[in-house]
Amino acid sequence: MPVGYSIYQERDSVLHQRIDPRTKFALLVTSFVLALAYNHPAVLGLLTATVIGAAWWSRLDFRRFLPILLAAGWFLVLGILVWPFYIQVGPPLFFIFGSAITITGLLFGLAMGLRVSLMVAAAGVWMMTTSPQKMTLGLVRMGLPQKAGIAMSTAIRLVPLLNAKRATIVEAQRARGLRLDTGNPLARARKSVSVLGPLLLSAIDLAQAIAIAMDARGFGARAERTSLVQIELTRLDRIILAACGMAIVASVVLRLLGIGVIVQGYL
Amino acid sequence: MATDRDPIVAAHGVSFRYAGSDANALESVDLAIARGEFLAFVGQNGAGKTTLAKLFNGLLTPTTGDVVVDGSSTHKVGIDFLSKIVGYCYQNPDHQIFSNTVREEVAFGLKHHGVPAAAAAESVTEALRLVGLEHQADRYPFLLGRGERQKLAVASILALGPPVLVIDEPTTGLDLGGTRSIMRLLRQLNESGRTVIIITHDMNVVAEYAPRTVVISKGRVIRDGSTRDVLTNEAALREAFLRPPQITRVALRLHERCGFPAGILTVDEFLTAYRSRAANTTTRAAARPASRGQG
Ligand SMILES: Nc1ncnc2c1ncn2[C@@H]1O[C@H](COP(=O)(O)OP(=O)(O)O)[C@@H](O)[C@H]1O
Ligand SMILES: [Mg+2]
Repeated sequence: MPVGYSIYQERDSVLHQRIDPRTKFALLVTSFVLALAYNHPAVLGLLTATVIGAAWWSRLDFRRFLPILLAAGWFLVLGILVWPFYIQVGPPLFFIFGSAITITGLLFGLAMGLRVSLMVAAAGVWMMTTSPQKMTLGLVRMGLPQKAGIAMSTAIRLVPLLNAKRATIVEAQRARGLRLDTGNPLARARKSVSVLGPLLLSAIDLAQAIAIAMDARGFGARAERTSLVQIELTRLDRIILAACGMAIVASVVLRLLGIGVIVQGYL
Repeated sequence: MATDRDPIVAAHGVSFRYAGSDANALESVDLAIARGEFLAFVGQNGAGKTTLAKLFNGLLTPTTGDVVVDGSSTHKVGIDFLSKIVGYCYQNPDHQIFSNTVREEVAFGLKHHGVPAAAAAESVTEALRLVGLEHQADRYPFLLGRGERQKLAVASILALGPPVLVIDEPTTGLDLGGTRSIMRLLRQLNESGRTVIIITHDMNVVAEYAPRTVVISKGRVIRDGSTRDVLTNEAALREAFLRPPQITRVALRLHERCGFPAGILTVDEFLTAYRSRAANTTTRAAARPASRGQG
């Protein structure tokens, strides 16, 4: 059964292999800051397109990137449906339930959808181009305690395992007559205990087994650990990091000047 | 309408492929299981035993072909109906246990089938009595031993009253005592009229308890017949990466060398055969003392 290790996809691309995980983390943070600094749909649209372009450039499997795009589409629809009721700037286009819907409101909704899409897509590209090993190593080099790093990579590794377990448990309970898809929300919540219970217990079991296996192999014997994968900031990394820094400063300045903003007074 | 003579479970040209997989997990399986049978599915890991069992209770439906349970195609009836006819007990009991007491755990399925409380309580008590857990009814399930948890899982299926029980690897991880205890329970359930299908790789268990054996290899049924015939066909078993029990192999070797009976499945059978041969040779020897003296 193809139980994936994580959503990481091994490729031979610049983003995958040539850029340090710390730099990629900085890129992620920058994309988040930029996403929040602007609320104009044109700017956010351009940034989102850039991130999707980066995914394409890194030769990520688009079938596996599709869920992220679908989620992004959903956020766009949601933004456009909800925000115009709150942002009523400019002449009304039409009325719904007595609420004036304006062009600016619609554009702002689009921007909010794009903002979430941008963050989701950036996080997706980050996870798909950075192996869990490098991700952890990068975070540890940036000061995350070693144990926290291990906890993080273990957690990532457990997700697909627990998901497979969950499927098995659901089947076992269905064989005893459980129907998860019927009843009112309360009844469903109560029924899900029959899945979450065994799942929690097997997760604890698994975690304990891993902890014992790690102890048995000398985990924590030294404060400093060496790593099989080596990472190093190259010239390319330094250039990108400098660019990230400048982009963040610039976005804050532009924000204060009111550039790239369609509605003032809203984040 | 299904009659008593029709098989309770039948597979007709069944193939199955998991979504996203590029090979069939099962390939043209034909099988008929009569009411009241006790049979074993054997085969190496990944052979397709569990997949076949899941097709019987509607957790899966065939990609091609048809599985017919008690006269109804599983394409047409849902798992609600099927789970009352074919009770499927998972490989690992810990995949289903979650209640705070043994009693509640057994009542789980009944509750979901909408059985009234009084009737449910009665079925629970009966199921616990059958598996011998009636004195543990108020204990916390996770404090039971591995063998007892396996029995609890069986009880929770039994409570629904299915005429067919499919038990996936009932003895894996159990010691000899636990194995014997669960297998005796299954034999007893079979003697009281239920159809029992066990999935296992323990050939000693098969030899001792299951009169019929179905060998599955790479998604195909490669042997299906009386356990005595199947387990004494070493070549066919080897094809499925299985071996007869040791005592059967010893008998087969002796059969090749000196005509010892070949179809031996258990130590007791071996001893009986050995004694009768020994008795024969002594009587023959006793009947011809003179000729030996002359020679
Ligand atoms: N959920 C699943 N998705 C895809 N393939 C599966 C799944 N479950 C089992 N398989 C595959 O189907 C084949 C048969 O598996 P299974 O029926 O579990 O074998 P057995 O019970 O005999 O060990 C194996 O090759 C296994 O990898
Ligand atoms: Mg199996």
